Amino acid sequence: MPTRRLSEFVQALRGAGLRISPDEASQAMDAAALVGYAQRQRFHDALALTLVKQQQDRSAFEETFARFFEAEDPRSDSPQDSASSMPSPAAQPDPASAQTPEAQQAEALLASTPEQLQQRMAEAAAEMDFTQMEVITQQGIYTRRLLMNMGMGAVDDRVLQLDQGSPAQQARAEQLRQWRTRVREQAAAQVRRQFLLHGAGKGRALREQTLRAVPFRDLREFRDVQALVRKMARRLASLHQRRTKTSRRGMLDARRTMVASIRHDGVPAKLFWRRRPPRKTRVMVICDVSSSVSDAARFLLQFLYAMNDVLPRVRSFAFASRFDEITGDFARYSPEVAVGQVLDRLSGSGTDYAEMFRAFQARCERELDAHTTVIILGDARNNYLPDGAETLQAIRRRVKQVWWLNPESRSRWNSGDAVMDRYLPHCRLARQCATLNDLERVVDSLLGALD
Amino acid sequence: MKTRIDSVEEITRSFAGQGYICSEQIALAIYLAAQLHKPVLVEGPPGVGKTELAKAAAAFLEAPLIRLQCYEGLDESRALYEWKYGKQLLYTQLLRDKLGGMLADTDSLEASMERLGDLGEAFYSDTFLEPRPLLHALRSDEPAVLLIDEIDKADQEFEAFLLELLSDFQISIPELGTVKARHQPLVLLTSNDQRELSDALKRRCLHLYIPYPTAELEAQIVATRVPDLDVRLREQLVAFIQHLREQDMKKLPAISETLDWARALVLLHADSLEHAQVADTLNLVLKTEQDVSLARELLPAWLRKLGKR
Repeated sequence: MPTRRLSEFVQALRGAGLRISPDEASQAMDAAALVGYAQRQRFHDALALTLVKQQQDRSAFEETFARFFEAEDPRSDSPQDSASSMPSPAAQPDPASAQTPEAQQAEALLASTPEQLQQRMAEAAAEMDFTQMEVITQQGIYTRRLLMNMGMGAVDDRVLQLDQGSPAQQARAEQLRQWRTRVREQAAAQVRRQFLLHGAGKGRALREQTLRAVPFRDLREFRDVQALVRKMARRLASLHQRRTKTSRRGMLDARRTMVASIRHDGVPAKLFWRRRPPRKTRVMVICDVSSSVSDAARFLLQFLYAMNDVLPRVRSFAFASRFDEITGDFARYSPEVAVGQVLDRLSGSGTDYAEMFRAFQARCERELDAHTTVIILGDARNNYLPDGAETLQAIRRRVKQVWWLNPESRSRWNSGDAVMDRYLPHCRLARQCATLNDLERVVDSLLGALD
Repeated sequence: MKTRIDSVEEITRSFAGQGYICSEQIALAIYLAAQLHKPVLVEGPPGVGKTELAKAAAAFLEAPLIRLQCYEGLDESRALYEWKYGKQLLYTQLLRDKLGGMLADTDSLEASMERLGDLGEAFYSDTFLEPRPLLHALRSDEPAVLLIDEIDKADQEFEAFLLELLSDFQISIPELGTVKARHQPLVLLTSNDQRELSDALKRRCLHLYIPYPTAELEAQIVATRVPDLDVRLREQLVAFIQHLREQDMKKLPAISETLDWARALVLLHADSLEHAQVADTLNLVLKTEQDVSLARELLPAWLRKLGKR
């Protein structure tokens, strides 16, 4: 197998979301050269060992491998299969009537066996660069280009030419049209395979960018958004893990400090610490899950629980017409399931923020301390009820900080029955949070503020 | 150390001879690591034989195994080298008179300094160097197998420190300069996935994930390690363990626990899985109270199903 096929495979893996450095790619090639291509399973294992560095990537790898090496694996049966789906030579080749060189060319193509045709298509495809495909609508253009490369243009002309002729020739033109349609189908299938391998990945990157900027309201329609949320959360988590590891305090490590001091004649010029103190921070999230805000709540909760390893102590509450703690739902079920359950249980309309503050205070007052951060997600639309800002102030006094995330744009924070102005003085930070990008920024600064 | 490895099968055979039964993928990883001179990062749930793999590899390659156990707070002075400060002090004390004599005929401060300067190097030489596992592996007279165990327990800084070793098999020591490996060691790193390792580290390694074994493989392992166990009982036992792994357990039973259990059953002269015996010995397999009680609930139904077969 030439190196080119392998580097195309790496390209396809990158498209499927794996991060592969050039060095890893060259390792994979060394490994493949070492084990050879005769045993499919071993070849597969060697590539997996060198290219898959995270267990999460495994399924993407398997999928791409199956698709990539099945499509053109010379030892598998598939070429025969696709050759047999190629049309047999067009009925009654008629080279005698072809006078121009173009027409002769067309007749030659028409007379080729399915295998020859398949070969011709493979050659034509090899001349093309499919890696530039990005979106699904480009498939038509690429199919057309592939057919032209095969020399099908001559056949088109031939059909037109025959259409002008005798009735017998017209009947033949009709047959040729059918033949042409079947070749076209095969070409389209070939292009579609190539798109799945190359274009789909680039399309994904493009799509990811879009997803990040779409308002939460419209986001639920997309299937792959869960995966994106998890990916973003993982990235943030590993970023902040690093940050917390470098700042250290704690107990003096007497042994190491003394040993280090020997070289300075007993002067402890450099101090060593035994262990960093465990993080005591606690995060309490209160989410408005009334219809207008529930989409944002869904993503905020998913995001926070996806970051379990850096944010272990999250308690969450939800309210709409009722207020309740929902931490338990997240302990028992996966975030996706839990969010759905909570929304079923509590959602409704008619939010009363003053009542919510009171209920929260009554339930958690004893646990509020200087290590606690309270995050409130809501639109502050209070249905013209008393706002209860004094309760929020009382809560604020007991905790480290209160953050407010509002899914609406800043200009609408005080329009209609919204009363953000009354709450703002008690919040250390208030942000608009309407897209995944906003959310990522908020959680990023949250992790920074906790250290 | 063995320098020529003919095939992956040779590794599998040698491992099997040592009682380490493994899937072909594992043998392939060792083969590639030895041929491409790349470190292998071995991940997987606890108890699937990650550390054992290093031992088996060392035995196969006829190379010494050098082990570095990682833990939080591990640093260069325990992993790489340390100066023997005590010995240095002792030597300066003992040599004081000698030094006095040596410097007696110098008349200026500069001259004394110069003379001492030549000597100073002696105090930062091999005599006073205490090599730790990593330096051992680099300076070993024959190629070694270096096992860096549970790298996920060490700090991020230590991980970064390892990068130079993993990619170039060399390490920089300020007083001595760069130490290059005399013979490239085969490096195995293990991780229990306690935290995500950095991309830089992963990029430099082959990545081997060892999952829980399939029923077939596990039966082979038990057969090799506990040959006294009755064949029928072995199948029952393996099937039961596999069944347990499908449950929602806090800590899933690993191979080491299967083996413990098999040995216990041999000691108890069991010839088939019976309710009382299984219930009594469950704590060999399951390590938390919750799991044990869950398994107790499952047990009758499962044994009944087994009886029907």
